[in-house]
Amino acid sequence: MSNDAASSPGPLADIRVIEISDTPAGAYCGRLLAGLGAAVTMIEPPAGSRLRHRGPFRADAPDLEGGASHLHLNRRKQSLRLDLRTAAARRLLDAELADADIAVIDVERRRWDEWGIDPDSLRRRHQQLHVCTITPYGLDGRKSDWRGSELTLYAAGGYLRIGGEPDREPVKAWGEQGHLQAGLHAALGVVAALHAGGEPQRIDTAVCDALAFLLGGGYQHAWFHDLDPVRNGARLVGFGPGHLYPSTIRPCADGWVHAHCNNRYPEAMAVLFDEPRLAEPALLSELMGRADEVDELMAPTLVQTSRREMVQRAQEMRIPFTEVLAPSEVMADVDGHHASRDFWQSTPHPRGGDYQAPGPAVRFGTTRWADGSAPRLGQNNGRLGTPAQRARWRRAGVA
Amino acid sequence: MLPEAQLVPFPDSPSRPLDGVRVLDLTSAVAGPVATQLLGALGAEVIRIETPWAKPRNPSSALPHRTETPDEPWNREPRQNELANSKRSVALNLTTEAGRETFLDLVEHSDVVLENFSPRVMGNFGLEWDTLRERNSQIVYVSMPAFGKSGPWRDRISYGPGIDAMSGLSWLTGYTDGSPLKPGNFYCDQNAGLLAALSTVAAIMARCRVGGQTVELAMLEGELQLIGDAMVGQQLSGREPTRIGNEHTSAAPHGVYPAAPLLGNPDSWIAIACRDDVEWQALLRVWRDDAVRADRRFATGLRRWKHRAELDALLRNWTECQDPETLAERLQRAGVPASAVMGPRALLRDEQVQARQSVGGLDHPQVGLSPAPQAAFRLSRTPAPPSSAAPLFAADTVPAMREILGYSEKRIAELLQSGAASDRLRERP
Repeated sequence: MSNDAASSPGPLADIRVIEISDTPAGAYCGRLLAGLGAAVTMIEPPAGSRLRHRGPFRADAPDLEGGASHLHLNRRKQSLRLDLRTAAARRLLDAELADADIAVIDVERRRWDEWGIDPDSLRRRHQQLHVCTITPYGLDGRKSDWRGSELTLYAAGGYLRIGGEPDREPVKAWGEQGHLQAGLHAALGVVAALHAGGEPQRIDTAVCDALAFLLGGGYQHAWFHDLDPVRNGARLVGFGPGHLYPSTIRPCADGWVHAHCNNRYPEAMAVLFDEPRLAEPALLSELMGRADEVDELMAPTLVQTSRREMVQRAQEMRIPFTEVLAPSEVMADVDGHHASRDFWQSTPHPRGGDYQAPGPAVRFGTTRWADGSAPRLGQNNGRLGTPAQRARWRRAGVA
Repeated sequence: MLPEAQLVPFPDSPSRPLDGVRVLDLTSAVAGPVATQLLGALGAEVIRIETPWAKPRNPSSALPHRTETPDEPWNREPRQNELANSKRSVALNLTTEAGRETFLDLVEHSDVVLENFSPRVMGNFGLEWDTLRERNSQIVYVSMPAFGKSGPWRDRISYGPGIDAMSGLSWLTGYTDGSPLKPGNFYCDQNAGLLAALSTVAAIMARCRVGGQTVELAMLEGELQLIGDAMVGQQLSGREPTRIGNEHTSAAPHGVYPAAPLLGNPDSWIAIACRDDVEWQALLRVWRDDAVRADRRFATGLRRWKHRAELDALLRNWTECQDPETLAERLQRAGVPASAVMGPRALLRDEQVQARQSVGGLDHPQVGLSPAPQAAFRLSRTPAPPSSAAPLFAADTVPAMREILGYSEKRIAELLQSGAASDRLRERP
């Protein structure tokens, strides 16, 4: 199903969002809402949002218009450059908010008063406005004013505990997955509030809660059995020797494969690896408990076989092995899967040429997922006031 | 049961955002059930359609039987208890004509059908989009294939962790000196579940304009949104991004350091992140180590980053005998982002978790009070924590046929008799 088949504007086509963001959380929330058709305007300080300062950049030359995070997460948004430390800029923001349905705010709380964006005062001034905040620990509770970075929030939300080798320190997933998950939760909260209708709502989202949500069933083991999960390297974290195995990453001739055996055909592994011991009842009855042995039995075949061949053979037997791909290999798309779905979107780079950006997160049959370019800093300031007013604001450092 | 843990039942919410919405849930594994669990918490009436013999009768992982109820281990399976909260359970055999027809009758009375089968399966049941739409033009049909409903990988099979591998995220995750690791246990699944829930609500909102429609959420494409900056970045720089573990690209100290046991668990750590000079100076106010303060290797941000291995070694010596929660508290008071590495046991007794009810209790008829996390947002007027514990298997088969479909008692008895529907767990035929 190609996104081209969808012809109608996105589900949120008549929704206007003001995004005041410094982190990937608010930016991703705004990106998802923009993808669903909303008109999203970023309010940026004179130096641009912090996301613009992150590389990599072309030729490693810092460029407010050309950082990877900005070019990915701020696509199909507009940008107003306003110095909210000035009263005149705050009045311009208020004029924008008067026409908006949602404000998404993830900047540090210590700036809220100075910038006039405290959620309570915003809702008093703009009674039509849903206000979505994304903060490290949420707005309630004793830790609500605690500082959080991606790493420390991974620790606070508990998800750090399950990553890494059992005999080393825990390790988090690459990037800022905690902030991105918080952005996704926030977007769900926003559309839920819009669907609920009636009085606008406050949508109070906590990054550490998004990470705590990921622990899922771990709370039952803690509550009923007083057990914490134990890191398991590349293996799935499971409880008890009877847990299914393999679900792990193993080396092969030219890299790594994700070796996974679903619960229907463990015996097929014996055929795949030409190794009858993989089907022995004693092994099958406690696969996780004898994971080292399973790894040893798979190894001779794996080290002689390429990723591609191993996965092809397994998939033919309906065993869900997959290749571990590096980012450049994902982009290379040797099987043409992404190309056949028009996934990577050729997008103009602000300094010339194109780059490929991820396409639709979701494909609707009728309403279109919306892609576009990331805006230049202050690209849409032209919509504010008259030319004479804009010149005055520019001189005064307001906009 | 965990000592000192507090589990306060989630409060009833008088009004939820999706009140009045009905979802037919054909999902299995993790991604789909997460999506429908979130929709259930948001207020939708989610009806799990289960195969009458879907569950092992005696799962080894069954939770303790805590109430004066019949001993039914299949109703105490932890994964079910986790992922089926806020749902009802109806057992239908979709491979029979009567079971399929009962499902289609339910479609007429529903708003959403959500499935995460391989792309061929709905066709095998004779339940393609055209069939569903014929019965209900307003139906939203959400599918969550691993790789998509088209393309060379359409018929590949994979679970979430295998998709982590295909997206590049596993390759990027791990220690600087190690090999690729999973980004979590079911990270791709949970991400896809959230995206599917978001897309479903959006499609429901669009119905007044466009009617029902299909929604295709390919799990791989959902996860690629989360590493788009790596993909764009490697095009800009011409370099493959690398595994950096817990390190920051330009700041130090920034890592996870050993600590004294937490709740008796020697696997105890504290995460500390100094992203600039202000946070470094704040750390020194607590650390109070004159040698470190005077050490020229650590005088600037760039020097600290260059000498991060030496700095980490000194920091480890300082943290390893300290209680991680107490130390985090002191560091936070000074202005340093820091946290003990919590786990489910620590979170169940964490006052912040309790204040926000990030994890609350659901009263399950057979296992008693049982913990469940709620989504990370709190809606001020229509709160949406999980609404009920997982249903007993097939408990809603007869009520649904009676109340939603208005079937006669005779017809219900025939469906149960024929095995097209079931009000209990049956043996595989």
